[in-house]
Amino acid sequence: MTNYLAAMVAAAALFAGASQAATPAAGNPAAGNNGPRWVQAPAGGSLDFVFDQAGAASKGSFKQFTTELGYDEKSPATGSLSVKVQIGTVDTQDQERNEMLLGADLFDAQKFPTAQYSASSFSRSASGGLEAVGKLTLRGVTRDLRLPLKITRTAAGLELSGEAAIKRLDYGVGQGDWKTTEGVGDEVKIQYKVALVKAK
Amino acid sequence: MTFRNTTRSWGALTKALHWIIVILIIVQFFIASRAHDLPRGPALIEAWGWHKSVGMTIFMLAIIRLVWRWMNPVPDLTAETRAWEHTLAKISHVLLYALIFAVPLTGWLMSSAKNFPVSWFSLFQWPDLIAPDRALSESMESAHKILVKVLVGVALLHAAGALKHHFIDKNNVLRRMLPFSRIK
Repeated sequence: MTNYLAAMVAAAALFAGASQAATPAAGNPAAGNNGPRWVQAPAGGSLDFVFDQAGAASKGSFKQFTTELGYDEKSPATGSLSVKVQIGTVDTQDQERNEMLLGADLFDAQKFPTAQYSASSFSRSASGGLEAVGKLTLRGVTRDLRLPLKITRTAAGLELSGEAAIKRLDYGVGQGDWKTTEGVGDEVKIQYKVALVKAK
Repeated sequence: MTFRNTTRSWGALTKALHWIIVILIIVQFFIASRAHDLPRGPALIEAWGWHKSVGMTIFMLAIIRLVWRWMNPVPDLTAETRAWEHTLAKISHVLLYALIFAVPLTGWLMSSAKNFPVSWFSLFQWPDLIAPDRALSESMESAHKILVKVLVGVALLHAAGALKHHFIDKNNVLRRMLPFSRIK
């Protein structure tokens, strides 16, 4: 059951940058004129989240999400990224757990049907990797989140992947009894990988 | 009491394994029945976490126990038992050994099939035996519950047999498995 929480987090995961300064205002970093536009290929990709449930790393995923990337290899810093996740498509391979995750104490999918990550610029991390500088909105809470990215060329376009960790409780994913981190850990790892094609 | 078994009595390790497993099986019932009373939530997750950890402990002890049995002599029952008693005892012992493997194993399979991986007291994680599969998780859950009932039934028969030997036949069959007891 712990997975529910995780799932929420997962949503966030796309964005999965790890730094989380608490900044309330939601940004509106919709991609500007930041180089060529890329969108998610029909084959899609995967957005998984890994959470600790009773001491065991457990995995879930979101089945539906969309990605828009503005990216010019010649000037990566001007990139932009927008990922929108349909929270209702959470899947932990267990119907009961999925339902619980969507409930009011966890994702509250009825009130917050989508999660969104928006970055209007990219920067280099300390280790030299590319990082989206953006904000994650999950369950109505918006926080700064730097998402390390890997962008590679493929025959059909680009492959974008990223991995980050967020704390579910930062986003209120876990109300009431779920505020405890016994049973389900606070940290949720987000693993994101998607194939992109050039937007028409 | 010796560490190893003799042809007359069980050794210290066999006795310890026998009684620790008995206690852990009883603990499992308390955890499982508490879990059934809990609403879905973190406390329930914790309860099942304990149940799985204790179950995997029984599984590991069962392996040690079986290996130890192969390495040791087994006290002879024939002098103290009638043929039918001996046969019944043999069947129930084989069943009990099989069940202390099969019950944890079906629980483990059920956890893997449900995508609820198994940890051992949060110290390490057991690998998933199979990929998530709803139908399989349901059949493993039924198997787990049925095997538990069989285990209880056979264990009660086993205990009744031991008590009969002790109080009615007044022989050493029970005494040689009791901790700290001396065989007369």
